[in-house]
Amino acid sequence: MIRRWLPFIAGAGIVIWVTALVMLALTAEGPQRFGELYLAILLINVAGMVALLVLIGGRLADFVRDWRRHVPGSRLRGRTLLMFGGLAIAPLLMVFTFSVLFLTRGIDGWFHAEVRQGLTDALGLSRAALDLRMREYLDRTLGMADRLAAESGAGLYFALDEELRNSDAEELIVASAGGQTVAYIRAGIQHALPAALPADLLLQLRQGRPHVSLQPAPGGGYQVRAATQVLSVAGTHSPLVLIATYPVPQRLSDLAGTVQQAYQQYGQLSYLREPLKAAFVLTLSLVLLMALLAAVYGALYFSERLVRPVQDLIAGTRAVAKGDFDTRLLRPSHDEIGFLVTSFNDMTKKLARAREEAERSQAAVEAERAALAVILARLTSGVLSLEPDLRVRVANQAAGVILGVDFKGAAGRPLAEIAAGHPLLAELHAVLQRHLAAGESEWREQVTLRADAGRRELVCACTSLPGDAGAQGLVLVFDEVTQLLQAQRQAAWGEVARRLAHEIRNPLTPIQLSAERMRRKLMRGLGAPEAELLERSTHTIVQQVEAMKQMVAAFTEYAKAPEMHISELDLSALVRQVADLYHAQDPRVAFGLSLDLKASLLEADPGRIRQLLNNLLTNSLEALDGHQNPVIMIETRRLGDRVALAVTDNGPGFQDGLLEQAFDPYVTSKPKGTGLGLAIVRRIVEEHGGTVEVDNAPEGGARVRILLPATAREARRAEGRREKA
Amino acid sequence: MHLLRGTSWLLTLAALLGTATAPVAAAQEAERFEIRNAYVQLVNGEWLLDVRLDVALAEAARQAFAEGVPLLLRLEVEASVERRLLPSDEVVSLGRRWQLAYDAIAERYVVTDVKAGTHVSHATREEAFEALDHIGGIVIADTATLPEGQRFDMRVRATVEIGELPAAVRVLLFWRSWSRTTEWYAWQVRP
Repeated sequence: MIRRWLPFIAGAGIVIWVTALVMLALTAEGPQRFGELYLAILLINVAGMVALLVLIGGRLADFVRDWRRHVPGSRLRGRTLLMFGGLAIAPLLMVFTFSVLFLTRGIDGWFHAEVRQGLTDALGLSRAALDLRMREYLDRTLGMADRLAAESGAGLYFALDEELRNSDAEELIVASAGGQTVAYIRAGIQHALPAALPADLLLQLRQGRPHVSLQPAPGGGYQVRAATQVLSVAGTHSPLVLIATYPVPQRLSDLAGTVQQAYQQYGQLSYLREPLKAAFVLTLSLVLLMALLAAVYGALYFSERLVRPVQDLIAGTRAVAKGDFDTRLLRPSHDEIGFLVTSFNDMTKKLARAREEAERSQAAVEAERAALAVILARLTSGVLSLEPDLRVRVANQAAGVILGVDFKGAAGRPLAEIAAGHPLLAELHAVLQRHLAAGESEWREQVTLRADAGRRELVCACTSLPGDAGAQGLVLVFDEVTQLLQAQRQAAWGEVARRLAHEIRNPLTPIQLSAERMRRKLMRGLGAPEAELLERSTHTIVQQVEAMKQMVAAFTEYAKAPEMHISELDLSALVRQVADLYHAQDPRVAFGLSLDLKASLLEADPGRIRQLLNNLLTNSLEALDGHQNPVIMIETRRLGDRVALAVTDNGPGFQDGLLEQAFDPYVTSKPKGTGLGLAIVRRIVEEHGGTVEVDNAPEGGARVRILLPATAREARRAEGRREKA
Repeated sequence: MHLLRGTSWLLTLAALLGTATAPVAAAQEAERFEIRNAYVQLVNGEWLLDVRLDVALAEAARQAFAEGVPLLLRLEVEASVERRLLPSDEVVSLGRRWQLAYDAIAERYVVTDVKAGTHVSHATREEAFEALDHIGGIVIADTATLPEGQRFDMRVRATVEIGELPAAVRVLLFWRSWSRTTEWYAWQVRP
């Protein structure tokens, strides 16, 4: 509300102040103008000055505060203020100084000796002119007195009237020496009373000296008063006096009046010389002070107005620097500053638009990256993205699973550092280094990685990532084909086993029957030594045929896809039962059982699991043949939704070359082994959806570790996959 | 010397701003301005006032007068009638002015009754000042305003000052104390 009226109040104040200032200047000229209002005018000016001082103080305080706080633009405002102030104040001070000098010199010039002398001369001239008149009137009065001396009583009055008409006098008085009027006559006025006679006049007359003087007339101008004694009036004993008053001619009176007025004013001015100078200087000082204050205030105001758009621009620039592109500035004017502000607003608009586009692009990139991450996470292939210096950029989950490495937090770390504790990754890193050393940035290779857990067959593809400044890194994609190759080998071996069984089993029975028939027919006609030879030969044939039948049965067993009979099975109980059986057959072998009696229930085919245990224990027993203290450790544990089974012996363990091919058919280190034991174990485990690993225990001996799902779901899936195959 | 002249205004300004309360007793030592006595009398149905003053102006005022600055004598007259339980009723309030000026052509000192327009000239300054000592025959009221048998209070005050100065100069000279005013001279008129 107050802000709305502020301009009007300020405008009214300025009008009053300027009016007062003008009136102050006019008042100094003389008493006629605004004389009575002078004090009020002075007070208005002082009030205006105080108001200006308050305003200036407020703005200066703001300015100093901004300066101390290093508010943007305060330095510029300071310079502008100095410039404006200097431009306004310096000329004002110069004008003031010269004005005061001229004024004081001018006033002093009024009182030059020549002026005073001129006035004095004019006065003397006027007096001289009037003196002639005065002397003339005195002579006339003296003559008049001589003529009146002979008159008395009424004759005196008539004689007086006669003298009045015959002379230029306007008033004639005949009085006693004490001043009492004896006769009085005045031109044009019949019943007027004469004024009291001055004592000095009467005294002079009593002393016998005639009197003539110039008197200021009541209506302005001058008149001459001449008086003398009337020495002998008839009928009187005391002397009388005659006082005649003559008007000074109008022209002469006016000129004399002008000279008198000028002389009086000059005297007055001379008396007021210093106060007048002080009054003018004070008025000038007040005006200058007001002008100075107005200039300072104007400098403050305009510097603020000039700098404010710059301050806004600085604030806007800082806001933009902080990322606020929505900053818009009000256009202060239509000049260059306004053009600058408009340009700034255009710039922020474009920046905001560019940011929006960048955000959209970034969001799209993020979305694509997220999609890529999902794809990478779902990929069964391992993906490893590397920087040019082989630091890990991205590694998907499959890469970690395949290489046995947890890549969480691996981003940015050198691949060599991560590979330090992971042999599979170390081998892969070595392969990568080999290709890089050969200058190959794009290559494909089937890589075999060897580790304690077994062999890994990887099909790797590597390519470089393009970038503006050359290669931006590498992407390594790899698939584990170990199981695929294993399955292919198994299938091949199954086919071999089936053909062998078919081709070998058919001639075995005729061979066996023929050998037995030969022995029966020929035995009777032979002597004892030949009969014994025949007996021994045919027995060997039958025995070997029987052995070959068993081998063919084993091949058949490996080759055929058995029908699963899933039921609930207590693995620990089954292990104990089988271990007891084997211990009964060979008591010198010590069985160490660590069984989880409460958590080893699982859904499986009991017959197949029993065969699995038989194969494992048979392998161990064969390996421990001839061992002094044969020990077989069997352990069962519940691991989440899986059941773990581990069989460890203290035998010689797997030979180095055989560990990688331990599950391949016909791979054995035993002279009598068929090489199908672990192959069948693996097949049974896979039929149940489990996994099996072989290695050598740290303390020596072979170790087989099996994980079986607790429920038959995995087993059914595996069966489905097998049927499809 | 020129420098002193040039800076005289500064000194004057400083004196104005800084010595507004400067003592003026020294300038007042020789002066005396008071009402010696005053009375009214009823003449032909009119109340006439007669005042006798003791006018001995300070040297500053005399010097100003000698240099041609006229002097002004102002007389303020008030008459009031007492009322019971009410403030007094001021029935008369008037002012009269006389100017004393020197006429250089006539070489006479002229005392002018500003209201009546009449004047009396004197050969010497002393005579002129003496003429101001006695002011008589001033009609203040008639019996219609102040009945003859009524008791009333009178008071009178006189002021002498250097007259007809520019207002700016008058404000500047306030500290010189060239204006003098007497105390109120009061008396009661009884029937």
